Amino acid sequence: MDTQTEIMLDNIGMTYKTTDGRDVTALTSVSLNIQKGEFISLLGPSDCGKTTLLRIMADLLQPTQGTITVGGETPRQARLKQRYGIVFQSAVLYDWRTVKKNVMLPLEIMHVPKAERSERADKMLELVGLTDFANHYPNQLSGGMQQRVGIARALALQPEILLMDEPFSALDEFTREKLHMDLLKIWRKTNKTIVFVTHNIQESVFLSDRVCVLSPHPGRLSAVIDIDLPRPRTMEMRNTPEFTELVAKVRGSFEGV
Amino acid sequence: MTKLKKFLRSKKMVTIVWVIGILVIWEIFAFIVQETKRTPINVLPHVWQIIGSFFSDNKVSGQLTMAELIGQSCSETLLRAGLGFLIGTVVGYILALLMNLSGVVEKIAFPYLMLIQMIPILGMAPIILAITGDINTSRIVIAAILTFYPVSTNVLAGFKAVEKEKHELMYSYAANKFQLYTKTLIPACIPYFFTGLKISAPMAITASILVDTLQGGNGLGCMLSQSLKGGMTRLVFWDIVLMSAIIGILSYWIMGVIERLLCPYKRKKSED
Repeated sequence: MDTQTEIMLDNIGMTYKTTDGRDVTALTSVSLNIQKGEFISLLGPSDCGKTTLLRIMADLLQPTQGTITVGGETPRQARLKQRYGIVFQSAVLYDWRTVKKNVMLPLEIMHVPKAERSERADKMLELVGLTDFANHYPNQLSGGMQQRVGIARALALQPEILLMDEPFSALDEFTREKLHMDLLKIWRKTNKTIVFVTHNIQESVFLSDRVCVLSPHPGRLSAVIDIDLPRPRTMEMRNTPEFTELVAKVRGSFEGV
Repeated sequence: MTKLKKFLRSKKMVTIVWVIGILVIWEIFAFIVQETKRTPINVLPHVWQIIGSFFSDNKVSGQLTMAELIGQSCSETLLRAGLGFLIGTVVGYILALLMNLSGVVEKIAFPYLMLIQMIPILGMAPIILAITGDINTSRIVIAAILTFYPVSTNVLAGFKAVEKEKHELMYSYAANKFQLYTKTLIPACIPYFFTGLKISAPMAITASILVDTLQGGNGLGCMLSQSLKGGMTRLVFWDIVLMSAIIGILSYWIMGVIERLLCPYKRKKSED
């Protein structure tokens, strides 16, 4: 893995004005370098600003303080170059489009030629194991399958950065663990930089190279913990003392919760 | 047994119960009227008299049988209602688009659209007639006015109901405004659009018939008032009432059929 910086956050702060005119600090002085090809988690309880931080990276929010660069450019430039794939907590599928057409949606926006669109969508569906469901409609799929379509759609753009906002939090434990393995496999195959927001400690430890622990009131980065579990990760690793130790270490790093 | 249970729970059963219920109540009163009134046909004829008169060969107006007369007036009325419906739909849709595109347009137009809806049709008709100078044109215009409001408000509600995440998704793809509408907002609001159409289709027909009664010419409403004034047998009136109900329900039903054709995803869901 090369150690080139992909996303650089320097002293990022975010202050909202509430409707009654008070200032609320969602994030304060977050500095972080995310490496190219890294799998990094933003972990914390609700209100810790982890989603805000992700949205700043995605150019969905403008920070009120500090600077952020994505591959040396502003988030806006990176967005306009379609370097992001975003996966939300809900799959946000288009229910009038079949699974395959959902995956092709970003390619249509990018004016990718029709034949290539179809080819790329097929490839992505194969990657997430949904080839047989290409012509189904989203409402015919289970929650886990819908989320996989969402991932395939985000990957179809061939983005360099995958931003995932609690993508598995609405799923049951079994489906979630299965999707963890799928996601790691996809990550290994495609070499994306993945920023993964979660409030699940085990999930963040199992998936990531590094876990960024955020604490609330005000949202701040309270620790960055290296996860030195070997790759590729396996299901059995969850039962090892090393895993348990890392989970305990992450849990111990929360302040003021 | 299970088949019977399934039938008892089905939608069809509900429809059948309603139809039979209405027929029974109608006939009970028809028999009472028959015994107590001198001209029962003017008050409440039997169902079979109404249906029978439709298929009878007796001339009711000049050389026309009942079926010919009603068919002719029906097509006149439907043509005007349909034209008005079409114009109202297009205008309503464009207005919803404009309101969604510009907050200023929405602020100016939206609260006052309801006012137009609140003016009674029969009050509006003479004004429209004075403006257009032609009764048939004003019939179309009034059907259009009644159509555009439900279409406009429902489509606007449909645009607004699109989740924030879909907007953000399109934003992250760096989609332009045109793509946002064609790929996301317009397809997403099709069910809302059809909700509007289902409300306004029967309304356009009702309006067309009502305005028919104001002046002469051809049309269900014209024949209806002639029949009430004694120009034709009273059965013409009853047949027109029945026919109006049928085409009103049909217009609603046709909108549902078109919706299901356009939205296969909804159809598959209901099959589950």
